[in-house]
Amino acid sequence: MKKILILVLVTILVFAFLISCRKKVEDVPAPPPKPQEIEQPKVEKVEEVPPVKEPELTEEEIFMAKSLEEINEEMPLNMIHFDFDKYFIREDAKPILQQNARWLKKFPTVKILIEGHCDERGTEEYNLALGEKRARSTYDYFISLGVGPNRMRTISYGKSQPIDLGHNEISWQKNRRSQFTIFEK
Amino acid sequence: MKKNIIILGILCTLLFPGKTPSQQEFYLRITEGMPAIPIALPQFSFQSGSPEFQKETAELHDIIKNDLKYSRIFQPLPENYYSYIRPINPNKILFKDWQSISAHLLLVGEVSPLSGGDILFEGKIYDVKSERFIKGRRYQSEKSLVRLMAHRMSNELMKMYGEPPLFTSKIAFVSNRDGNDEIYLMDYDGQNQTRLTFNKVQDYMPALSPDGRKIAYTSYRSGKAALYVLDIYEGKITEIKTEGRTNYAPCFSPDGKVIVFCSHIPGGNPEIFTASTNGNNVKRVTFNNAADTAPYWSPTARQIAFTSDRSGTPQIYIMDAEGSNVRRVSFGGNYHDGPAWSPSGDRIAYIARVDQIFDIYILNIRTNRVTKLTESSARNESPTWSPDGRHIVFSSNRTGTIQIYSMDYDGSNVRQLTHRGENKLPFWSIVQ
Repeated sequence: MKKILILVLVTILVFAFLISCRKKVEDVPAPPPKPQEIEQPKVEKVEEVPPVKEPELTEEEIFMAKSLEEINEEMPLNMIHFDFDKYFIREDAKPILQQNARWLKKFPTVKILIEGHCDERGTEEYNLALGEKRARSTYDYFISLGVGPNRMRTISYGKSQPIDLGHNEISWQKNRRSQFTIFEK
Repeated sequence: MKKNIIILGILCTLLFPGKTPSQQEFYLRITEGMPAIPIALPQFSFQSGSPEFQKETAELHDIIKNDLKYSRIFQPLPENYYSYIRPINPNKILFKDWQSISAHLLLVGEVSPLSGGDILFEGKIYDVKSERFIKGRRYQSEKSLVRLMAHRMSNELMKMYGEPPLFTSKIAFVSNRDGNDEIYLMDYDGQNQTRLTFNKVQDYMPALSPDGRKIAYTSYRSGKAALYVLDIYEGKITEIKTEGRTNYAPCFSPDGKVIVFCSHIPGGNPEIFTASTNGNNVKRVTFNNAADTAPYWSPTARQIAFTSDRSGTPQIYIMDAEGSNVRRVSFGGNYHDGPAWSPSGDRIAYIARVDQIFDIYILNIRTNRVTKLTESSARNESPTWSPDGRHIVFSSNRTGTIQIYSMDYDGSNVRQLTHRGENKLPFWSIVQ
């Protein structure tokens, strides 16, 4: 009996020792994160060098590096809006087109598609004709600003591609527009 | 599809040849104001020992009944009338019974099974008053073509009165149910909606040829709005080439050989042009500083109706097919568009816009009388006529989304034909 008791005691002691040892092992690895934190600033210092080079690229070079999709997503050319049933260029649209023309002169290789759109308050046929006239008057205004005619194409989508699906004047005004897509650079 | 139609057409023969004295065809033109002809349509019988076609038999009966109801020529008798008389015996018709419930015509149908799962349907038409057999038809096909069999039988009844085959006619339309605007085709009653064009760009403004084999439509597939002619059954696509101009709003001439359409001349003004369906012989028809759009041939092919804003606002005009003799026919509003000439030639359906509401009107060009057909605070657009001129198909946003509806020529009996996605620009034509 005594032998058994001693054996049990010994095993308990051995276990207790092992458990305490484990805790110590777990406690030891805690400090290492500190040296890593010190290492990181060194890497950052190395990274700081290349951004200085980037501004050396000209605006044209940055532009040419992008894909057509990326350029169109940035929407460098702002859309203009029209009055109901009308296709003349409004006074508020002229500065926008002038700004667009300046951008087009900066990148003389760019070719654009001028899309004419209408609101839903017209028949399909009538709106396709109206959209074409809106694209045309935008085209003519660009010509008057000195943009080459071979750099532009026109297309009419009528009322088939609204950007706002509402049925009120705010939505309709948004949909009566000329917008621009770059298809060549 | 074509194969199936041929199979169906094989057993389409006259019954009892030479036995009855009433073989000669007779034609009677129904005009407005005539009361509908009461027709008895007892349940079709299926041959003893073949209960497997019970469902198809009932379906055939229902489709024919709905066709005849829709026709406005026939009036199927109420079902409960048949309970007053002895049940039908296809071998011995008791005409006195049918006279007693004031039926003028009697359609007796029998269905029997054939080897290979095919179905045989026989329909016999009797004149009740003169107690005569008029004509019979026998159709054989697979089960899936029950609808076509029923429509063919209904067409036979229409043919007796000199009417075109309305029930096999088709409606082409545009739907965005699969993502973007594509061309679809459906039966006159909205069944069998089938997609015809498959691409990622917009295809729209379809026009069916008079024989229903071709569709002319505008597609943006080449980066511009160009006009194409699709042969539905051969899948061949031909472009109408016009030096890269914007082309749209096509309409076939009554002989199906020439297309009239709208094209933007350099400078952007839309003018009306004609071209052969193979893309040759492009000819300009209108010469005007105003926008000329939405051309539509008259059924005689001598004239073209179109929309022009030469008077300051869009109005309906008629000209000779060569472009001369232009005259204005719409008055009293400041926005009229979308003319569609009726098959009878005496009416033009069009739309008028008043305070952002579009309604469909009919102009009788003989009497100059105008009738308003729709009355809803919505955009009712793009009317075209059924081949028999008694119905009009159009699109409307009355429920919130744009869907296709049909109605009778007096504005009654409005039915919604489409439900999935947005559906517009319907065009109705005969398909043999």
